Formats: sequence, structure tokens, C-alpha cells
Amino acid sequence: MDRGLARRLEARFEGALHGQARQRHDQTEIRIGAGDVIEVLRALNDEPELAFTMLVDLAGVDTGAEMQVVYHLWSATTSDWLRVIVEGLSRDDPRIASVTFLWPGAEWMERETYDMFGITFEGNRDLRRIYMPPDYTSFPLRKDFYLPDDAARSPGAGVRHVERTHSPVDAAPGVMRRTGA
Amino acid sequence: MATQTFAKGTHPSADDPHVLVEDDYAFYEPIPPYPPRTEREAEFYTLGDGEMFLNMGPQHPSTHGVLRVVLKLDGERVVDIDPVLGYLHRGVEKLVENADYHQTISQVDPLEYISSLFCEWAPVTAYEKLLDVEVPRRAEYIRVLSGELNRISSHALFMGWFALDLGGLTPILWSFIERDEIVEMLAALTGQRMLFNYFRIGGVNGDLNHEFLSRLGDWMSRAVGQVEANTKLLNENEIFVRRASGLGVVDQETAIRLCMTGANLRATGIPFDLRRTHPYSIYPELEFDIPTRSEGDSLARYLLRMEEVKQSLRIIDQCLDKMPDGPIMAKLPRLLRPRPGRAWAAVEGPRGVYGAYAISDGTDQPFRLKIHDPSFIHLQAVGALLPGNLLADTMAIMASLDPVMGGVDK
Repeated sequence: MDRGLARRLEARFEGALHGQARQRHDQTEIRIGAGDVIEVLRALNDEPELAFTMLVDLAGVDTGAEMQVVYHLWSATTSDWLRVIVEGLSRDDPRIASVTFLWPGAEWMERETYDMFGITFEGNRDLRRIYMPPDYTSFPLRKDFYLPDDAARSPGAGVRHVERTHSPVDAAPGVMRRTGA
Repeated sequence: MATQTFAKGTHPSADDPHVLVEDDYAFYEPIPPYPPRTEREAEFYTLGDGEMFLNMGPQHPSTHGVLRVVLKLDGERVVDIDPVLGYLHRGVEKLVENADYHQTISQVDPLEYISSLFCEWAPVTAYEKLLDVEVPRRAEYIRVLSGELNRISSHALFMGWFALDLGGLTPILWSFIERDEIVEMLAALTGQRMLFNYFRIGGVNGDLNHEFLSRLGDWMSRAVGQVEANTKLLNENEIFVRRASGLGVVDQETAIRLCMTGANLRATGIPFDLRRTHPYSIYPELEFDIPTRSEGDSLARYLLRMEEVKQSLRIIDQCLDKMPDGPIMAKLPRLLRPRPGRAWAAVEGPRGVYGAYAISDGTDQPFRLKIHDPSFIHLQAVGALLPGNLLADTMAIMASLDPVMGGVDK
């Protein structure tokens, strides 16, 4: 745990941070809003005392109440992983700036996040589905997307679907509902 | 290609069981049957002067899985490529949200079927951070030992594949001898040849046994010589060396900007290896080097992986030498309920950084598990390295970056 990094980040990004930097194990976590993404990530990448030049991962998260985009960065200046959480994206129309101008390699990671969560990355030159077929209309990793056979959450209800004689009565056509919940 | 299409059941010979009717969707037209969704797609699917499309895959034998690539060609030069993914997509990240913490290990296992142990290692480490578990030292040594064996078997397969994609059949037959011996000894340890399902949260599934150790000792006594003999097959082959050198060159800055990791990044001269740059497990206690090369071409990537095999042999030697006694599992309840929190863990696999980002909401199932796979990133880099090269070099460059479609498609 690198206490100095947390202090440096808090001093540098005073206005942008939501709350203090959190630290646990070998990770330092900061939270920012969607408007500050470009400014913060550019500073993290450019400034020699930070030098987070390696974007190791980009993940989308659906908390059920809001959407988040999470960046994991690595730098030789610290022994910690840096996790930048961009929080507060609306679930109806999540929009965030693309970081492909810094890392062209983020293009596919953003495509994947768009494909799975429907988060729009403004500035990504190729934001189309990457895994799911082009005529697919859902975003599978959203929390309101249920698996048809949700066996693990509802033992008995989902396991022996072969023996079930009727589909759940309240299921609207085309909507897959979690059974037994 | 203009094909006449028929609705299902309306083909003249639909009722004749002796006539094989190919459905219209069996043909892969390079141009998609829908309007372009992005500017980049519109630009790609617009032909310039003298250009043509060529569809490759998804059943092409050297795509290392099920990958479809649309190539835009000018004569025999590749102008641009558009990889089409998803043929192997299994939705693992959704499945693990509906499985408890122990079950997720077997779910993430088949992602990267060439080096499964690293696929397990990253999420298991992330869960251990969520739970604040200390893994027993013997378990860590066994993890490193089996992981390095897995790394060697993966690199052995890479060597064979790479030569095969350049047109040489012999190396894959030789490298499979070593790979087969390693997967057999790992089968003695874990019970499986490919999808090991061996690591557990807080340790490993089984202790070292006699068959594993005797096989390993037998193999280690001749491993260095065998590796030398196998690599000599290619390293001193003039056709291979001249074909692979200068092919798909990537420089340091481009490699970092393309988010590349692993041997592909180290081949450009950056000594980035998580085992040293962000030490985990017991790697700080072991002696080994991080080989780098400066050329950044296909040959450098190949030679670097062969160097890594030798370093892995050193690590295995030390693991066997220092292997401590003790338990192989930490004491944990059967049903795990980590307190709410987030954890990220990354390990250095044979292809680069394998990461896992786990979020717990306090229940017995992960709220979210993001798997980061290096193959996904490196396949993307093919698009940046390929333009300007010959059609025949497509597979050579792709093979030198060593993506595995199981990891790409999650």
C-alpha cells in the first residue's frame, strides 16, 4: 500500500475526486465523475511524477442503480495498482468520453463494454457490437437481464426445466424472467 | 458471389434426401448484409481503386480457434483487416454472476484452454484479496510450480503453431512430445489434462503426489537438452529465420499504446513482467531473469518465448528445492461471503497479463467478475501490425502474437 500515492492523487486532483482515495492490499482507488475522465486520465498518463502509461484493463459495472466504468492503470512510480472508477452514469443513457486518443488499444475494450452494458463511448471510432450478433438488441451484463435458467439462485426451479410443464404465467412475451424468484 | 437463395423448405430438392442443399447462411459473404453502424465500418467496407475483399474463417485451420477475419486486399498486399469475433463467446462473465465463488473457478477455466492455470490464478487471487485470506506457503509453491509447467507447455504449443503457420510441419510434432509429457504430469497432479480446475480459494485442490513428482523428476533430468534440441530445429533454420525476422515490427511506444503485455511487449525491449514489476505469490523469493529483446519483430517474439522456457525451468528447479512442508489450504468456511468490496488481481501468464476484477456485494455469489485476457488485446494489435504486409504473412504475424480464441471470446 503506497500512502504517498494517495496523498499525491488527492493533492493533484482535488476538485475532481469524489471523496478520498481508498486503499486496500496493493490497490489505490479514486472515484471521479464522467465529465473529468479526459482531464484526469491525461494527467495520470502525461505527468512524470504519476506516469500511469499502461492501461491494463477497462471494465463496465452495473450496480443496479447506476453505471460505472473502471480503469486499471500501472505505473513504475508506485507499487500499487491504480483503479479509477468513473461513477454516476445514468442507466438509461450512459455516456462517457473515449480514451482511445491516449490508448488506441482501448478501442476493443470499449467495444466490449458497449456490447455488454450499452455504455456509449463518445470519440471511439468503431463503437459497434463485438461479441453479440449485429441484430442483437439487449445488453447481457446489465443486472436487469436474467438468464432463462437461473439455476444457481433458485435451486429446484431452474434445474429441472425439462420437467416443467408450463412457462411462468407472468412472463411477458419475449422477456426472460428469473424463475422462482 | 451471387447465390440464389431459397426460403426454408422451398428449394426444388428440399424433399429429396439424396441432394445436399446448402443453406444460404453457410456462405460467408465478406460484406455484411446490413448498413454500416459506424464510420469506421463504412470506411472499411468501401473499396478503393483495385482493392478487393477476402473472407477468411471462421473455420480456417490457422486462426487458432474460431475467428473470422475480413481482409481488404490490394493485389497481394493487405490494406486493412476487420476481425469478426463472437463465434466462441460463452458469456462466462454472466454465468459467474449466477454461480457461487467456488463454482466460478470451473467457469473461468475453459477461457484460455492452453494455459488454464493462469485463468484460475487471477480470479482466485482476487477472491483471496476480497476475503483477506493468507495462502499457505506450500500452496503458493505448488501454484508457482504447476503454473510454470503450464507456461512451458503453452510455449511448446506456440513454437509448433508458429512454425506450422509459416509452413513447417515438423516442429509441432516435436514440441508435442514435451507438451504431452507435461500435460500428463499435470493430469497426475490435478486430474485433468487441459482444464485443470486445480486452484482453490485459499490454496490448491490436491497435494503433490508420487506419480507427479516421479514424472517431473524424470522429465527435468532431460528437459534442458530437449528444449535445446527442439529450439535448434527452428533457431538454425535459415528459411524460418529469414521469413520471421522483420515481420510485424512494433516499437515500444506503439506497443504501450496498444496496451500490449507479456512477451510481445518485452520483445520491444520493455522489461515489463508482473513477476518482477509487481511481484505476487512467492516470486520475490526466486531467482530468474526477465529476458528482453529489442527488435520487436516476429522472430524476437519467438526467441523470447524460448528464453522464457529456460527461465521457467530454473524456477521449477528452485521450487522443488525450496518446497516447504505444511497445509495446502487455508482454513475457510464452505460457503464464502466476502464483505462488500472490490479487488483487482493480475498474474503474468504465458501470453501476458491475466487480470480479474471482482466485486462482492456480501452474498455468496460475485456481483461482478471482469476477466482481462491478453489474447483479446493482442488480436486487436494484429490490425495495427498487418497493413502493408503480404496476405501470406497474416497468419504468421497473428501466430507470433499468440492469441488464443478461447480467451478472446470469453
